[in-house]
Amino acid sequence: MLFRQIVFYALLMGLLAGAVVTIVQTVQVVPIILSAETYEGAEEPALAPFKAEGHTHGGGESEDADAWAPADGMERTLFTFISNTITAMGFALLVLVAMFATRNLTNSGNNDFNWRHGLIWGAAGYAVFWLAPAIGMPPEIPLATTAPLEDRQLWWGFAAICTAAGLAGLAFAKSPWRWVLALLVLVPHIVGAPHHEGALFAEQPPEAAAALEALAQQFVGASAIANASLWIVLGLVGVWALRRIVVSTDRSTDDEAFSSRV
Amino acid sequence: MQNINNQAATPHISTQSTTISKTLQLAAAFVLGGVIVYAAGFVNTAAVHNAAHDTRHSQGFPCH
Repeated sequence: MLFRQIVFYALLMGLLAGAVVTIVQTVQVVPIILSAETYEGAEEPALAPFKAEGHTHGGGESEDADAWAPADGMERTLFTFISNTITAMGFALLVLVAMFATRNLTNSGNNDFNWRHGLIWGAAGYAVFWLAPAIGMPPEIPLATTAPLEDRQLWWGFAAICTAAGLAGLAFAKSPWRWVLALLVLVPHIVGAPHHEGALFAEQPPEAAAALEALAQQFVGASAIANASLWIVLGLVGVWALRRIVVSTDRSTDDEAFSSRV
Repeated sequence: MQNINNQAATPHISTQSTTISKTLQLAAAFVLGGVIVYAAGFVNTAAVHNAAHDTRHSQGFPCH
């Protein structure tokens, strides 16, 4: 059964990618987040509370301070691993479905998938889910003052969908439509991402703001590398999974055709 | 035995339903993937946010 197979391989891909990403993050992303959090007020817990109506980290009042949060150290790393894995499983489902649905559409008609296809699919996933949103809204560290959360989430989704549609058009549509569809990639950037007016760390004292600016720049690079590792794993393992899924679904289709002839 | 006989009696329906269900299965898997990414990256509940905090920042999901 196709659904069960896709889910099974997506879980496997998510587990592998989640493990790799957690290692890469623990080495170079998390230290930056932890450094940024040291600038949070002493009265705040290590993981600053989420405020439903607000968006700033260091705003001061903390009515949700008693909300559960993992303790720093092993527990926090464990939850990061779990959420990395779950996120990667979601991405894996999306990319496996896209790979399977388009496997006969490539212009060459070449059905023989290899590691190069894996890297191309990985690059496409990276462009859709990291690069396109990051061009408009660079990944933020805690304490950054930003536009309202809902606006940014909406734009993030809009950027991902436009980029996916544009790349799909470029890869699978016939000209001239492919070039028209490819322009969709630009639409979210013409519309523009929501941004807060003024300095990124306006609410912080000047020295802290300068240190946080430097951390914010490092963070973009660190996040770029962590996500590249995620998508390389998802792309390469995805192609391996796709080949196995295609072989077994073709076989089961043959079986059904055979049994219906008998 | 019963099943084999049923399949043999309705070859067209069985082939067609396989095709339709493949599309449905793909759609279901895609929706499931979307829901999972949404839950991990976008849900605003405090506990979910705190558990997924470092993932969200690192993935470039809007956080806070």
